[in-house]
Amino acid sequence: MRRRARRIRRAVVGLAVALFAATFLVVYVQLASGHDPALVANAAKRRAASPSVTSTEASAAESSTATSTRSEASTGSEESSSGASAVTTSQS
Amino acid sequence: MSGAEIIEDFDCFGSRCSAVISGAGEVGSAQDAVAFVKRKLLGWHTRFSRFMADSELSRLNRDPREIVPVSPLMARFAQAVREAGSLSGGLVDATLVREIETAGYDGDLRDSLALASALALAPARRPASAAPARRWQQLEVDRAAGMLVRPAGLQLDSGGLAKGLFADVLGDALATHPSFAINCAGDLLVGGVARTMRPIRVQSPFDGRTLHTFELARTGVATSGIGRRSWLDRGGAPAHHLLDPASGRPAFTGIVQATALAPSALEAEIRAKAAVLSGPHSAPGWLTHGGVIVFDDGSHRVIGPAPVVTLAELARHTRPRPGSAQTIARAAGPAAA
Repeated sequence: MRRRARRIRRAVVGLAVALFAATFLVVYVQLASGHDPALVANAAKRRAASPSVTSTEASAAESSTATSTRSEASTGSEESSSGASAVTTSQS
Repeated sequence: MSGAEIIEDFDCFGSRCSAVISGAGEVGSAQDAVAFVKRKLLGWHTRFSRFMADSELSRLNRDPREIVPVSPLMARFAQAVREAGSLSGGLVDATLVREIETAGYDGDLRDSLALASALALAPARRPASAAPARRWQQLEVDRAAGMLVRPAGLQLDSGGLAKGLFADVLGDALATHPSFAINCAGDLLVGGVARTMRPIRVQSPFDGRTLHTFELARTGVATSGIGRRSWLDRGGAPAHHLLDPASGRPAFTGIVQATALAPSALEAEIRAKAAVLSGPHSAPGWLTHGGVIVFDDGSHRVIGPAPVVTLAELARHTRPRPGSAQTIARAAGPAAA
């Protein structure tokens, strides 16, 4: 009787540990791979709020020199949600 | 954002450069700062051009002495050449001047061969490798004394390394401004004390569309590839400016463009070049801080920077804690900070 109780206790503890380890592993892998569901929702909101991406190269290439403030936006620079103009990297 | 953002866009290094600066700092107002950037870059162009006979670089390359006095910036550039060779295991070799001239790049290129045509005519793809001679190891730089020691005849090509270095030097000068972005013909440095997040777009070498947009507050970025400066050599074979150091010939590796993020623009330049030269299999290994690889078939792969989570964001999802604005990186990677 006592042996049976011990066996059942062990099985319950083992199952609980295995279940905890599996859950922990799933959450760990999810977060470590950069896919935190809470942050994904935030990023989606930020993307929705920022303006669409457009190329500025054509307008920039028309003149050899262009100076502007952001409000004039004569280079066609795109602003992010933070207010900073976008910059483009391409082969030189 | 602190104050109006001033944008200056101008021709330099046979390409386009730009400065985007907001707010006042050590250099003065944002307007003063963009003027400073433009003046510096145009001045450095005349000193570091391989195509101007009286530039400091051309005079250094012609100098028959083994020990040559150089300006502080030239000494830094020579040191960058050594660092590039060392970091890339010899893949990024800025001593291949004779080889690049033999391949046909001995002046400003006006008419470039279309990328699709170059790829159609290109030989079988294979990764580049280091030159056995590793000439860059023969460079010795004494920055304190302003002296460069190298075997007579060893020449330096300013290429992309100088542009990355210039962006970093300007970034140091602009460090106290709230927000800035310096674009030295494709090599960028983004920063500023305000840590403003800035969109950084990566352009396709095939059609100019935006392949990916990173949004970062402080980082170096560089794009290297074979799309823009390609030509037909004397034998009618397609050529470009990224040489396989082992063969001294233009490298066709299966990658047409790589963009690298890194803590500095110079390191980004080295990583981008090494990624293109190492071929599709090894390229991702060079983009440890993130980047974009564009393959011959037009497809591309984005390698994200280390993800960043602010304490404020964390607090929103756990318990609100006032005054927690410090940024932490979830994984190592200063480029993403």
